[in-house]
Amino acid sequence: MASRPSSRLLPLLVPLVLVAACAAPAAPTPTASGTDAAPSPSVAPSAAAYPVTLTDDAGRELVLESEPRRVVSLAPSNTEIVCALDACDRLVGVTDFDDFPPEVADIDDVVIEASVDVELVVAAEPDLILAAGNELTPTAVLEQLDELGLPVLVLYPETLDEVYADIQLIGAALDRAPEADDLVGDLEDRVADVVAAVGDAERPATLYEVFYSEGTTYTAGEGSFLAALLELAGATPVTGDAQGVIGAEELVTADPELILLGTASYDPSLADPETALETVRARSGWEDLSAVRDGAVVPYLDDIVTTRAGPRIVDGLEALARAIHPDRFESGP
Amino acid sequence: MSATTAVRPIAFGPSLGRSALVLGAGVAFVAVAAAAAVLSGTSDIGIGDAVAIVLHRLTGIGPVTWPASAETIVWELRLPRVAAGMAVGAGLACAGTVFQALLRNPMADPYIIGPAAGASLGAVTALLLPVATVGWLGLGLVQLFAFAGGLLTVLVVFSIARGQAGTPVVTLLLSGYAVSSLLSAGVALLIFNSGERLAAVIGWLLGSLGGASWPRIGFAVPLIVISFSLLLVRWRGLNALLLGESQAAHLGVDVEREKRILTGLAALATSAGVAISGTIGFVGLVVPHLVRLAVGPDHRLLLPASLLYGAGLLVLADLGARLAGGIPVGIVTALIGAPFLLWLLRRSVRAGR
Amino acid sequence: MSEPVVRLEGVAAGYRSGGGERRVLERVDLELGRGEMVALLGANGSGKTTLLGIMAGTIRPTAGTVDLFGRPIGTWSRAEIARSVAVSPQSLELPAGFRVSEIVAMGRTPHRGRWFGWQADDQRAVADALRDADAESLADRPVTELSGGERQRVLVALALAQEPQLLLMDEPTTHLDVAHAAALLASVSRLQHVRGVTVVVVVHDLVLAGTWAPRVVVLDAGRVAADGPPDTALRPDVVYRAYGVAVESVVTGAGRRILVPRIPAAAAPGPAPRSPD
Repeated sequence: MASRPSSRLLPLLVPLVLVAACAAPAAPTPTASGTDAAPSPSVAPSAAAYPVTLTDDAGRELVLESEPRRVVSLAPSNTEIVCALDACDRLVGVTDFDDFPPEVADIDDVVIEASVDVELVVAAEPDLILAAGNELTPTAVLEQLDELGLPVLVLYPETLDEVYADIQLIGAALDRAPEADDLVGDLEDRVADVVAAVGDAERPATLYEVFYSEGTTYTAGEGSFLAALLELAGATPVTGDAQGVIGAEELVTADPELILLGTASYDPSLADPETALETVRARSGWEDLSAVRDGAVVPYLDDIVTTRAGPRIVDGLEALARAIHPDRFESGP
Repeated sequence: MSATTAVRPIAFGPSLGRSALVLGAGVAFVAVAAAAAVLSGTSDIGIGDAVAIVLHRLTGIGPVTWPASAETIVWELRLPRVAAGMAVGAGLACAGTVFQALLRNPMADPYIIGPAAGASLGAVTALLLPVATVGWLGLGLVQLFAFAGGLLTVLVVFSIARGQAGTPVVTLLLSGYAVSSLLSAGVALLIFNSGERLAAVIGWLLGSLGGASWPRIGFAVPLIVISFSLLLVRWRGLNALLLGESQAAHLGVDVEREKRILTGLAALATSAGVAISGTIGFVGLVVPHLVRLAVGPDHRLLLPASLLYGAGLLVLADLGARLAGGIPVGIVTALIGAPFLLWLLRRSVRAGR
Repeated sequence: MSEPVVRLEGVAAGYRSGGGERRVLERVDLELGRGEMVALLGANGSGKTTLLGIMAGTIRPTAGTVDLFGRPIGTWSRAEIARSVAVSPQSLELPAGFRVSEIVAMGRTPHRGRWFGWQADDQRAVADALRDADAESLADRPVTELSGGERQRVLVALALAQEPQLLLMDEPTTHLDVAHAAALLASVSRLQHVRGVTVVVVVHDLVLAGTWAPRVVVLDAGRVAADGPPDTALRPDVVYRAYGVAVESVVTGAGRRILVPRIPAAAAPGPAPRSPD
């Protein structure tokens, strides 16, 4: 089996689900780096950076007495943030799902097939664990880690701003605040560029297909992160319910003008536009959709970055914008 | 017929020697299984270190030559898990043996009069309660709800089945089935609406010893141990019940009272076990049958033997579950248990009974 | 005059069935003294088993009083009763996997000994029970391999193992051949003689009842129709009313009187139809 839709489904559902209460993390207590003129690339932490009190996305407070040198990440997005902050060498445990940057493949896995092996986590002797919220790291595991007295930060960003905040949170934790600020600035600039390029172009009703099986379509949930990205990319997203499910009748009523097949990222048979169109047309009720009639069914190959709430989410935004408004982007980066 | 004579020794059931052999083998089995489970895991900790860690924690001897993480793994992760496995396995096997005798039904298992359905409803409800922040579920809420759900359900089932003339076994079975079905429908409804908690709910329902820690098992394990200890001494009544309720009454067993006591103790052991580990299947059904094959139906030996082999089996199943990637132990017990059950059935069919 | 072993006064018993109450016993007065041997007779459904149940305390009367050894039976606990009263049932499904001796040993249940061990008393009681029930040779046999008659003897041994003072036997001779039936009743007599056990035996065989029992109680539709020595209790008119069958009284060569049923001869058959040659 090339892809395992069931095990990928959960991470895909993450941006589509409304969590009842997921407080945006308070801005981390400012470290001393704010007063340093230039970011210090030295290994030794600046004296005033620790101890630092951090508040994570779940509202939990964590006090770090010293700089963490052994970091375990329980979600690919967290791994990417750590590496983007040039602290990849501190990772001692990752998930078997992690694929970026390529060097993380050599790091030991502590999460196998979405199941956290607490024994391996403990064996890695971490001084910081980056977990994921919304049950991606199961509550039972978090409780166990707490009981063992291990330092855990729970991250669950649902908007771009929250992604930036998480980057800065990890930056503060790892004494990489300047790098974090630079990264956030860079991402904000790129987002602004996309918005500017899209400008006032017409916003087509767009269905982003996350998953389809037996007549049930999963797409961006109403108010979800993915829906927000689609809007930023210049589309009017066709949304489903809180779980992202959209029924056949609502789909017909919404009548998308453009369909982006996120599933094509995992299903090679959908990579070819012609085949994709045929497959989609064969689904009952879909043949009358405007997008299908007009042949506006686009195999979308960047689903991973579009649904992973890490630094490359902006790559995803750019890919979305290019797919929705190709005419506005002559030469893609 | 001579008025004789040489006193011919009459057998009263398994001889003392045979009993000692079976129980001794059982204890050895549990010890080996526990040792294997404490010494093995997904991380590399040498056997020597593991043994030294246990000794050190128990007696304080020895220089500490191992990393703190190894000690945490062995003492805080593996050992409570093994202890939980032993207790839950023993409790389930014991409860299964009791229900099979009490209900005179070879297909009876500890869940037959409802504790699984009730505990599931309690646990799933607790898992889905809107909690403000991830991380502090009110430690033990799921366990408390599961335990209460299990016990309450048995109480309800028993009350429904109780009539003027006592609690007939058939009515008990039917009432258990009806109540379980109702509660399971409730669980199914909750599952349907579980959203992102689905994985947690399904994991609990499949049964897992993964969350075991000393504080968490602190209340359930003593309860299980007390329950099966009190059950062990009731072997005479259980044997008499095998003759049917009316004959057991003639033999001096207060049948209705015995039913209440046996059901209550077995339900206590089962509910406490489910509270720790979710609904693990097959142990309570298959272990009594297997042990009965080896030692016979006399509860004097059957109860303690079932207890021991249930404990050892669950610990081994959990070891397998851990090494197979952390899958729920309920899957392993089903994979082992179902073929055994089929083999038992074939055997009895061939024996023509 | 020592107190009676069992005294029933005005006892009625029945159960709820459908909309109303079905009476099985009505206004039964009965007294059994120590060491008495009684044959209990009656047609099927006349209440014999229920009467045994009343005396064993497993069936509660809907009216009247039952005293056991001078105390109301309601004040006895189940285990107390079982130490003094044993019932050997008409039939019983014996659980597989046990040997005869193990089943008989269950009769020691009410005499709670230590947890695991067996006291010498238990050993002796079981041995005696097997011997008196003529089941010694069956001791090591698996219970699933017994014939009907053998099983009957095991059930008797089970009751005897309780070392009761009152022994209630529900049709113990039904499946037994003449030799075994005679041997069993002889054992019971011996018990009464040696240990002073009071025995009530339900039998169907009028001859056995007439020749063996010093006292006969006949039940007819839930009432005591006759109670006394066979000469007075087992009269043809009583039997006719209770069983609906005509019997005649015959005196044996040894001077004993027994009842023999009159079986109407079949009507003489006409010539059998023959196939044409």
